[in-house]
Amino acid sequence: MYVYRIMLFLVFGGYLLSPLLMSGWGSAGVAWYRPFVIWGVLIALTLWLEQKRKLDERR
Amino acid sequence: MSVSLASLSALGVGYLLLLFLCALAVERGWLPTRLVRHPAVYTLALGVYASAWAVYGSIEQASRSGFGYLAYYLGAAGAFLLAPVLLVPIQRMTRTYQLASLADLFAFRFRSRWVGTLITLVSLLAVLPLLALQVQTMGNAIHLLSGAGSPEWLALGFCSLIALFAILFGARHSHLNARHDSLLAAIAFESVVKLGAMLALGAFALYGIFDGPADLQAWLDGPGHPAQAETAHLDPAQWRTLLLLFFAAAFLMPHMFHITFAETLSRRTLLQAGWALPLFLLLMALPVPLILWGAQRLGVDTADPAAAYLAFTLSSSWWVGALAFIAGLAAASGTMIIISLALSGMILNHLVLVAHPPIAQPDLYRWLRWLRRGLIAAVILGGWVFYRTVGVHHDLSTLGLASFIGMAQCLPGMLALLYWPGANRKGMVSGLTAGVLVWLAGLWVPLLSPFPPLVILPPGLEVLANEPDWYVVTLVSLAANILTFILVSLATRTSAGERAAAEACSVDAVIRPMRLPLVAANGEEIKHHLARALGEEVANREVDRALTALKLSPLDGRPYALRRLRDRIQANLSGLMGPSVAQDIVDRFLPYRQDGPDATEDIHFVESRLEAYRSRLTGLARELDGLRRYHRRTLTRLPVGLCAFGEDGELLMWNDALAELSGIEGESVIGAHRDTLPPPWNALLGQILAEPASHLYKQPVTLAKGLRYLSLHKAELHEDRHEPGGNVILVEDHSEMKWLEDELVHAARLASIGQLAAGVAHEIGNPITGISSLAQNLRYDTDDPALLETADQIQQLTDRVSRIVGSLVGFAHGGRHVAGTPFAPVSMAAVTDEALHLIRLARSGEDVHYENRCPPALEVLGDGQRLQQVMINLVGNARDASDPGGRVVIDAEPRAGWLLVSVTDEGHGIDERVRDHLFEPFTTTKPAGEGTGLGLPLVYSIVAEHGGQIEIESPPAEQATGTRIQLWLPLNQEDGESPDESDPDR
Repeated sequence: MYVYRIMLFLVFGGYLLSPLLMSGWGSAGVAWYRPFVIWGVLIALTLWLEQKRKLDERR
Repeated sequence: MSVSLASLSALGVGYLLLLFLCALAVERGWLPTRLVRHPAVYTLALGVYASAWAVYGSIEQASRSGFGYLAYYLGAAGAFLLAPVLLVPIQRMTRTYQLASLADLFAFRFRSRWVGTLITLVSLLAVLPLLALQVQTMGNAIHLLSGAGSPEWLALGFCSLIALFAILFGARHSHLNARHDSLLAAIAFESVVKLGAMLALGAFALYGIFDGPADLQAWLDGPGHPAQAETAHLDPAQWRTLLLLFFAAAFLMPHMFHITFAETLSRRTLLQAGWALPLFLLLMALPVPLILWGAQRLGVDTADPAAAYLAFTLSSSWWVGALAFIAGLAAASGTMIIISLALSGMILNHLVLVAHPPIAQPDLYRWLRWLRRGLIAAVILGGWVFYRTVGVHHDLSTLGLASFIGMAQCLPGMLALLYWPGANRKGMVSGLTAGVLVWLAGLWVPLLSPFPPLVILPPGLEVLANEPDWYVVTLVSLAANILTFILVSLATRTSAGERAAAEACSVDAVIRPMRLPLVAANGEEIKHHLARALGEEVANREVDRALTALKLSPLDGRPYALRRLRDRIQANLSGLMGPSVAQDIVDRFLPYRQDGPDATEDIHFVESRLEAYRSRLTGLARELDGLRRYHRRTLTRLPVGLCAFGEDGELLMWNDALAELSGIEGESVIGAHRDTLPPPWNALLGQILAEPASHLYKQPVTLAKGLRYLSLHKAELHEDRHEPGGNVILVEDHSEMKWLEDELVHAARLASIGQLAAGVAHEIGNPITGISSLAQNLRYDTDDPALLETADQIQQLTDRVSRIVGSLVGFAHGGRHVAGTPFAPVSMAAVTDEALHLIRLARSGEDVHYENRCPPALEVLGDGQRLQQVMINLVGNARDASDPGGRVVIDAEPRAGWLLVSVTDEGHGIDERVRDHLFEPFTTTKPAGEGTGLGLPLVYSIVAEHGGQIEIESPPAEQATGTRIQLWLPLNQEDGESPDESDPDR
């Protein structure tokens, strides 16, 4: 259940910081795929937390 | 690029027929169940979120606000990332209470059919622009590809096919929350198609227009940079507002709610979608900027109004246009199918059935099914009409945002439903009405008319005057909604029913139902009562369905079971005709008894729910639950029988020890009234509950194990009137102690008789010796043959008396063999004769025939006195087991250094239940007072002292009845050989 708090923290933190994503559009030198990489990392993190949750609930 | 209208029609119809084929393949079982029910299918079905907005609207958004288009995807991804704390609790409620739509959920929580009606109306108004958006994209795509002047009629044709599909594969079941595998598979297929098409379009832009990612980056940093720099960026506040709107849309929009909660899927699958759906959305979002930049690279004018359809301009090849068309058709058709299913259910339950309750409707299932089919067609037709009359005048963003902002008005209610038990109906309805009015005036009505949006900014918010309408309306409507909701909820009273429903819905609470008896006495009576509302056939089917789900018998009369049955029937009817009508029917036709005792909390049910929700508890609650489980386990595993009754006599606990003692499993009796418990428990427990004394000692009770003596102790549970009352009863099995006491009394009596016998023998010994001496003297004093014969006879008889007395004295002494003392050769024939002498002294068994077949020459090495005790016990048992006229045979034969002595009777044999315990002390089959239960243990220990063994055959191989006891004793051999230890027969 503590895993859910990490998830809440991640989502609300992401919500507050997400406007930074938009700054990549039209900025020279910024990789066009940057938002997608950040998004992918977030998904990987969620997948990892999901595995942790399964272990937590199995205990 | 131009494609003929016929080709386009063939393409569209061909695709939709493929969809039919896919659903048919699932329905006919052509595809393996493992594949159809795979979690990936569910995740892909959730991809219905990516409607035509994701294919066309996002490109329009990207052209206007750059990465601002991502809000649509990231908002939904955020909602699913929060699945464990947001979606799983909703899923739990919808599954427990069979709630198939947002309106069902709100009507259940706020205990009002009018709340359901209000939510349905709001959903209908909110969804119409979204439906129009889907139809509009179809019409525009047809126009762009074929140049047709009136694409709306072809769009209507596609809409008809979509409606037919929804009717055929989505309205098969009368129950709204039945899982539709074929439908889910078809929607998953659509997701694959639109994802594949979008990725193909993105790949075409990246590798067909640019020379790969590096070239794209170089173009963005160079020639393409001015165009990107000109793109307006969303204000962070607007971005966050968009995120919030799409976050809400991900689970509030009727089609998303339907797929996520109404299709009965496992919690595990939903949690898995927590990362899988964001991944799907990431892949859907990735091609959007590529398509836009590709079009810009080709020099296409990306300004409004055609920006949404830039994918069609990437190439003159027909297949690029076909890909863009199919992507849009797949997205639009999936959304329209699920929206029509979800809305038809809501309209049916909260508008039609509320206005026209289906009481005593003949063939209820068929009537509901056809009504629903009609509503599906009406919803899709309504979308087309809205498109024709309103949608054509607005761009995708305007239509889409109007829809999403409308549904977002339900967000405060939904969050309160989960996290604020203090919220009440008046607050929710007031807040929702305020928010919806602002939305209608600001966005929805302006869609229909040329009048400008009417948004009245509250004092202090004039700064928003220059912001976009959607943004201002979202802020003002949600602020009005939330503030009104909170203030009215705090200022008004909440009804008891609402409070109970709030507890049922609240994330941190467990429902605490009250324990009330029903008027109906069992499942059969419930059928009878319900038949008045639903007709006999439907009532039977619904009650049987609930009984099967709960694994209960129709004749189970336990109040606990009947309450669960009532709840389950209500939940099932809720799935059939909505929670409001279901509650009405159940309250009216399955009422609680009014003459019963005051309602008390259903502790057993609360505990079972706590067990089920354990993984959701955190912090202090989890620690307390751990403590509760520990105490519960202590009581359950207590090695003494324990049961607890509520004040109304309902059984609340029946622990493991009591289950073992009684042979009755706790699950089968918990919740029963004490009078309905199986005998003798109803009388016994009723007796202790009725007694003023708290203890009942050694009550004789006949159980499956035979006669037992039970001691019962009771204590009252309640300390004050606020605590739940009742009694706890301890049940101790004192049978063995009772038998032990009896045996001790018997043994003490035997011991005193033994002492008496020894004394008597001693006293008799002296006169007998005198008589023998006198007889001897007589022989010396006379030569008369008659007198000599008499003297001989006197001497023989006195010898016999002496032998008997000697045996008695010897048996009374009967001490243990002294360890280390060598055994002497003993004739088993003589020992047996001696034992028979003593046995015959007893008055019982005089009519039993004894036969000593032991050869006198065979001797064993042992203690004669102890072996005599063995034979007395064995022959005595054989005599007791024999019927009058029976025969007891004692035989002996040498075998490989051992003497096999057998005592065989023709009696009733040994009971199966005691056979394994024969050599344990106090095990006896004789009536109390007749057997000590110590004989065979003594035999065992004596034979063990001699290094021998005992075997029991009951009945012996050659006899129908009886018992044979065989003793293996060491044979005395003249040549001094020791017995063969490896004798295989032993």
